[in-house]
Amino acid sequence: MDDKIFSEIPMRTWRWLGVNEARVPENLSDNVKKQQILVEAGQKDEVVLVNREGSQLEVQVHIADGGELHLVNAQLVPADTAVTSRVKVYVGKGAKFSYTTVEAGARHTAAELTVDMAGDDSVSDIWGLYFGDGESKIDLNYVIRQKGRRTDANMQVRGALLGKSEKIFRGTLDFLEGSKGSVGRENEEVVLLSPQVRNRSVPVMLSHEDDVDGHHAVSVGKIDEGKLFYLMSRGLDMADAQRLIVEASFNPVIDRINDEALKEEIDKVLMGRLVNG
Amino acid sequence: MTEKKKTYIEDIERTLYDIKDEDRSVYKAHSGLTEDVVRDISTRKHEPQWMLDFRLKSLDVYNSLELPTWGPSLDELHMDDIVTYVQPDAKMTGSWEEVPEDIKDTFDRLGIPEAEKTSLGGVGAQYDSEVVYHSIQEDMVKQGVIYTDMETAVREHEDIVKEYFMTLVPPKDHKFAALHGAVWSGGSFVYVPAGVHVEMPLQSYFRLNAAGAGQFEHTLIIVEPGASLHFIEGCSAPKHNVTNLHAGCVELFVKDGARLRYSTIENWSRNMMNLNTKRALVEKDGIIEWVSGSFGSHISCLYPCSVLHGENARCEFTGVTFASKGQNLDTGASVIHAAPHTSANINTRTISKAGGMATYRSAVKVTKNAPFAKCSVNCESLMLDNLSRSDTLPVMDIEGDEADIGHEAKIGRISDEAIFYLTSRGIDEEEARAMIVRGFVEPIAKELPLEYALEMNNLVNIELEGTIG
Repeated sequence: MDDKIFSEIPMRTWRWLGVNEARVPENLSDNVKKQQILVEAGQKDEVVLVNREGSQLEVQVHIADGGELHLVNAQLVPADTAVTSRVKVYVGKGAKFSYTTVEAGARHTAAELTVDMAGDDSVSDIWGLYFGDGESKIDLNYVIRQKGRRTDANMQVRGALLGKSEKIFRGTLDFLEGSKGSVGRENEEVVLLSPQVRNRSVPVMLSHEDDVDGHHAVSVGKIDEGKLFYLMSRGLDMADAQRLIVEASFNPVIDRINDEALKEEIDKVLMGRLVNG
Repeated sequence: MTEKKKTYIEDIERTLYDIKDEDRSVYKAHSGLTEDVVRDISTRKHEPQWMLDFRLKSLDVYNSLELPTWGPSLDELHMDDIVTYVQPDAKMTGSWEEVPEDIKDTFDRLGIPEAEKTSLGGVGAQYDSEVVYHSIQEDMVKQGVIYTDMETAVREHEDIVKEYFMTLVPPKDHKFAALHGAVWSGGSFVYVPAGVHVEMPLQSYFRLNAAGAGQFEHTLIIVEPGASLHFIEGCSAPKHNVTNLHAGCVELFVKDGARLRYSTIENWSRNMMNLNTKRALVEKDGIIEWVSGSFGSHISCLYPCSVLHGENARCEFTGVTFASKGQNLDTGASVIHAAPHTSANINTRTISKAGGMATYRSAVKVTKNAPFAKCSVNCESLMLDNLSRSDTLPVMDIEGDEADIGHEAKIGRISDEAIFYLTSRGIDEEEARAMIVRGFVEPIAKELPLEYALEMNNLVNIELEGTIG
């Protein structure tokens, strides 16, 4: 792979769309943080990773049969920083991987998530949030490979774009041969808040197995005017009404975080940037 | 656990299409692509200098471009083995009686002359590299409608052709567009003057008989302001044991307030590489409607593109793809919103079985100049066994905030709940399954001209043996 390429989409398409590869951000810090997480069979764990200073995060996760992990990965680095995150996950038989990720800082973010649902009856529940403002670039590539029988994958992503921000979200559900009885759902909802933003959404679904049920949906648009009108008729000004609606769309992601202090910190960062943007 | 029974969907009955005629061509270019071959084609067609120059420039572009880095593998295509020009033993005529008997028999079997009598306003028939028959109803001619083969258009309507030819699909677009620019031959030219509504569809049928040959027909349609047209394109070829290549090009110009429906049923044989490029430029208040059925070929790459260039321009795309054993059909659509208040609706169905590979690939681009663009994409895939593949790869690229874009895709098999619901309403189980499969392709079938809808019904010939899946 070209060393400037950070991550590649599992199936290539037209080059002019610029979505085949996520590039390594410029001026990336040499600081690499590596972490291995092992969840033993039948164990339950929660790990919270917060990146506040800008670094290359590399995480390897192994969840043994029947294990459960909730991994929180919050990126809250300063707005002039570049950052990457690469998370590789193995999910064993009957195991469950929950992932809550927040991309709320950085000038340029590249993030890759690969989940191998190798075990029968394994579950993945992925919830992601991104917020772009100023001239920030957000480049995300999430891939769930469903190998085991009766696996259950859910990928829910919420985003808002402000200023001149740009974002690419690639979300892949890959039903491999033998994944009989598996289900997969993917949904991305993007709110566009400025005329100068650029949003690229690539919901990929690959299937080599007939006995599966896959569904993906993407919705991209401005804030619903009906909702805005309703809130403003209740006395809120435009900015507050907008903030409330964006907050409501983010809440299903943020509410999964158990650490109240972190939750508040994320909320403060996001709402502060929303007001200033 | 007992093995679930499966419902099988038969392949399309191809006997009709697979009858080969004896190759009685009067001239064949050398195989491969050289400057001599390109000059030879141009000389034989008595073309003006500008067209020869265009061909030679396209050849240079072809030689400078690489094969695509995405999509099905094209390793089986060896251009040195492809004969790019095959002149049949027939001259273009306006009377079926004058078409040589064996060629006429082929089109008779395909039902073209009969359809012309009953439901078409005009017919063009291409055999290998040349159009052998073209006719149009007299009253359309009186209204100024032009429907002829491209060679005649280059001679008799040179100014119009020169203004539009390969401006929408320039040779540098991709390697096979460049190939087309160098060796194009045949195809149809349609010009509908402002305000004229062509009441009965025009149909061109393309038949590639020679083994190891390529067909590179060019279709150029201009629908002037306020006019309307339904154009139907059919394609087939008998099966040979060598690779054939189809790299046609379709350019559609839909002017202000005009409406064009472009229907295609592609049923190439299973040795065909179908690398076709189709594009429409739609001006203010114009409407392009695509109805696209891809059933044949070994490999297909086909993504009709609509450039919504004028305010309120609209696109409706309806497509169905059926990939069976030995087929890799990579199909879809793209839409470029380049003006305010443009809208598009893309609706597709794919079925894959017996090791067939079906890919839905699309692009929706909303430029900064297109506030209030709306686009809705819906694609559904049905897989009938786990030997097959079904992939969905849509891309949405939206600039600005005044857009409303929705995409939805589903993949899977018929649900037990649906069967249960229908049987609980008194419908027997086998009929319930058949209804669901028919219902799956119904949104597409209802958009097809009647004879093609019947052909598709034949295609979906269901053997009811338990559930799908």
